[in-house]
Amino acid sequence: MAKFIARRLGLSLVIFFFVTFIIYVLEYSLPTSYVEKTAMELASRPGSQKSAEQWIQELNAQYGMDKGIVQGYFVWFGNSAKGNFGDSWSQTMPVTQLFQKCIWYSFVMGLIAFILEIIIAIPLGVLAARKQYSMTDYTVTVVSLIGISMPTFFMATIFKLIFSVKLGWFDLIGMQGRNYAILDRTGQLLDLANHLVLPILTLTVVSIGSLMRYTRTNMLEVLNADYVRTARAKGLPENKVISHHAFRNTLIPLVTILGGSLPGLFSGALITETLFGIRGIGYYSYNAMVGGDIPFTMFYLAFIAILTLLGNLISDILYAVVDPRVRVN
Amino acid sequence: MSKNFNEVLKQRELNEKKEEKVMSLDSTERIKVLSPGQLVFKRFINNKLAIVGSVILIVMFLFSFICPLIYPYSQTQIFYKYDDSIIDYAQAVERTDYVITYAEGAEELSYKVKNYLTLNINSLKSSGEKEMLINGADGNNYRLEANEDHVYTLYKNDMEKVASISSAVKYGEYKMLGKELTLEAGVEEVAGFDAALEKAIKAKEKEFSAGGKSFSLVQNKKVYTIMLAGEGISYEGKKLSTEFEDAFNANAEGGSFEFAGDTYRVAKEGEDSVAYKLGNETKVALLTNYVIDAVVSGTTLSNEFQNAAIEALIGNKTFSADGKNFTVKNENGELSIYDDDNSEMPYSIISTHVIRRYNGEDTIDIALKEKIREVVAKMDEEGELTSTFEWELAQVNSEGEYTYDADGNLIKQPRTFTVKNKNGSYVLSVAQVVYLIDTFAKPTAQHWVGTDGDGMDVLARMMYGGRVSLIFSFIVIFIETFLGIILGGVAGYFGGWVDNLIMRMVDVFYCIPSMPILIILGSLFDALKLKPYIRVGWLMIVLGVLGWAGVARMVRGQILSLREQEFMVATEAVGLRTKRRIFKHLIPNVMPQLIVTATSGLGGIIITESTLSYLGLGVKHPLATWGTMISSVSSAEAMKAYTYIWIPVGLLICLTVVAFNFVGDGLRDAFDPKMKR
Repeated sequence: MAKFIARRLGLSLVIFFFVTFIIYVLEYSLPTSYVEKTAMELASRPGSQKSAEQWIQELNAQYGMDKGIVQGYFVWFGNSAKGNFGDSWSQTMPVTQLFQKCIWYSFVMGLIAFILEIIIAIPLGVLAARKQYSMTDYTVTVVSLIGISMPTFFMATIFKLIFSVKLGWFDLIGMQGRNYAILDRTGQLLDLANHLVLPILTLTVVSIGSLMRYTRTNMLEVLNADYVRTARAKGLPENKVISHHAFRNTLIPLVTILGGSLPGLFSGALITETLFGIRGIGYYSYNAMVGGDIPFTMFYLAFIAILTLLGNLISDILYAVVDPRVRVN
Repeated sequence: MSKNFNEVLKQRELNEKKEEKVMSLDSTERIKVLSPGQLVFKRFINNKLAIVGSVILIVMFLFSFICPLIYPYSQTQIFYKYDDSIIDYAQAVERTDYVITYAEGAEELSYKVKNYLTLNINSLKSSGEKEMLINGADGNNYRLEANEDHVYTLYKNDMEKVASISSAVKYGEYKMLGKELTLEAGVEEVAGFDAALEKAIKAKEKEFSAGGKSFSLVQNKKVYTIMLAGEGISYEGKKLSTEFEDAFNANAEGGSFEFAGDTYRVAKEGEDSVAYKLGNETKVALLTNYVIDAVVSGTTLSNEFQNAAIEALIGNKTFSADGKNFTVKNENGELSIYDDDNSEMPYSIISTHVIRRYNGEDTIDIALKEKIREVVAKMDEEGELTSTFEWELAQVNSEGEYTYDADGNLIKQPRTFTVKNKNGSYVLSVAQVVYLIDTFAKPTAQHWVGTDGDGMDVLARMMYGGRVSLIFSFIVIFIETFLGIILGGVAGYFGGWVDNLIMRMVDVFYCIPSMPILIILGSLFDALKLKPYIRVGWLMIVLGVLGWAGVARMVRGQILSLREQEFMVATEAVGLRTKRRIFKHLIPNVMPQLIVTATSGLGGIIITESTLSYLGLGVKHPLATWGTMISSVSSAEAMKAYTYIWIPVGLLICLTVVAFNFVGDGLRDAFDPKMKR
């Protein structure tokens, strides 16, 4: 097992190396005029403490953009390995500091949506599989397909129309209410929670479909398996068959895939956060990408790459751990 | 009878035998054989959801590709409408500055004098007198004469100050408390003043005299202010006779008088009256705030004409300018100038209000101008702040040009003008019918889903948007599949280090965050200002390149498993060429899986494309896409008001994606019934 993990880790490192190189090449080959223009624009903003030349000098020192592409990559890689990611252009603070500032909003949102998703999707998926070809099954299938097919922005806009504009329950955008400043600590927390409801709802609805479908597919596969037929044949009550024999086996792929998506909780929701103005990592990275804030963009892309690799690693390991039939070779 | 019956039966049997071939029980003809294709088709059409999906897709294709052919509008056609729009039509301002027309040979006035001219004219106007003297700041003296209400003549006069009557000056203060007397600094002490003052206060007299001088008392509570009365006329030069003094005193408050053959003019300077002896006079300039408008719009009036007209106005009412003779006429208080050759219509009109369009063009016809002047004059008189009047106004099109009907007549509509007095200038607003872009029109018979913010037909844009989305996703899928087949096929067929290399590439591409990269590229394209079509091309290539990894992995897996199967071993045993084995035996077997993956993938690409377009980083205006159509009405107000635009568009996206997913599922189940769940 240790050997397996070590090998996977090594492989992940190599992949990470190449992914970051591709990302670096992308940023490296941005036209100089574009970089200079962005630096100039950002430097001329109120509150900017550095001039455009300073930004570009720092960028060159940090990212080796004035050197050859391979050499420059190693300059960046070396700096990043030391945890030195430079200053975000748009927020004029160290990238790592900005990251610490915004990551927890994203994580909390992601976590709540993740839990809701599990609570809702898995039971429904199991239910649909148990009553295959019934009305319930069709409803679940169609609803999950629609959930998959809804673009996030459309879902978000519909929720905004219903809950913010028509019903007026939540604010349209942002994280703080009008009277946030005069609230006490619990009040502020509740206000924040109130503002997170719609984004979490959107995230949940959008992600619920695929998990529901996945659960149903796997449950059906298990229900057709011989050991379930055996269990039924020996006269076990249906509930016991489902909960002890079928569901536990369905959990194998589910745990694998859910474990794999755990690191993704940190990656933030690019579209949802931007649409609802939640100051999470998705929001800042979107603005960094649109505004040409190279340091934060690079950091974010590398971060996402790490999360993806970590997710793959976790699901590989979990697969081997959860299912004793799988022998590591 | 019975024989006959038998015959009939036999006959019938014979006939039946003729029609129907005898089929034995084990005849192979009894078995209906369906080709694999037919089987797949049969299974597919038995799947309800797949049928629903197919129907939606067919409708969507018809909607996007066929409907635009018969639909009358294109995606970039802008619609206009004639609509009332309240505009500030014109402004009437009373001219308050005076135009200076210098007399012949006169020197230009110094700015020191010029700056005060308007002020001087206003004070002359308010004093109600005919003339006033001005001690020019340039050291010269001037005489300003009012000729008409709005015309003044300025003369330079070598006048000389002769005498002045000074008024009372403050002498001192007397406080009742403590009986304290304070004299003003520098005044002459007068003998017997204290006694006289005390006596006057006791007697409550207002005036008293002491030491040959007269004083007056002004009481303010417990304090008396003592004023020393003026000492009569003091002369600048030599003293003149009493006759002069009498005349001066008589006109002390202003005016003029004759003395010894000279004209004297008295001017008030502060509290004092000053007598000036007028000297040689030269005319300097004519000042007026009159505005002369030509009746025939577009005629420009020369300076010569304008100057001559003003001269004539205060003179003999006739003048000639630009080779023509004119007469100034006063008709019921309205001044107009007639061309002597054409006495039917006034040539131009004189007034004090400048009336001009807000757009700076002088396109108001004279009749309207006169009407405006009339209304403004009435408002001035009655002190009204707002007033309205009716007028027939010409309609203009999008270019701001007048519109004509079939007979070439101007199209006019009766309009109500509102005149508002805003700090002395009169602003005319009117609901003018203008030709403007028909933005955000509600659904009507012409535009079934209304028009968008650019005045384009929403239904047309929906169709073209669908076309863009569908073509876009098909091309991207094609690129993905093409790369996937080649690389996956190579990896799966050859194995070994090639396989290893390609699979590591797949791992790397799986790991690249595609949405962020698309966003970065989108903003880069924005910065580079790429043309919409080129942009779309690049987007398709990037999406295709980022998405091949999944296909490649799938193809490789399929090929690996197919390679081990008997029929592939057989092809090897038969000795078929590699090319033939790949294209005749491997690829057709991978095809079903490929079709399923591609169909399901189409939906995802439509979502990606519309999300990018929604963020403004994908397909750009003027190309229509569903994403941009939604984002154009996503502000809080627009979202609420224009649900008829964004909800149908969003549903179109949803329906298309759902349909692709349904069809993908249906195909998968049809190709591989074992997979059916």
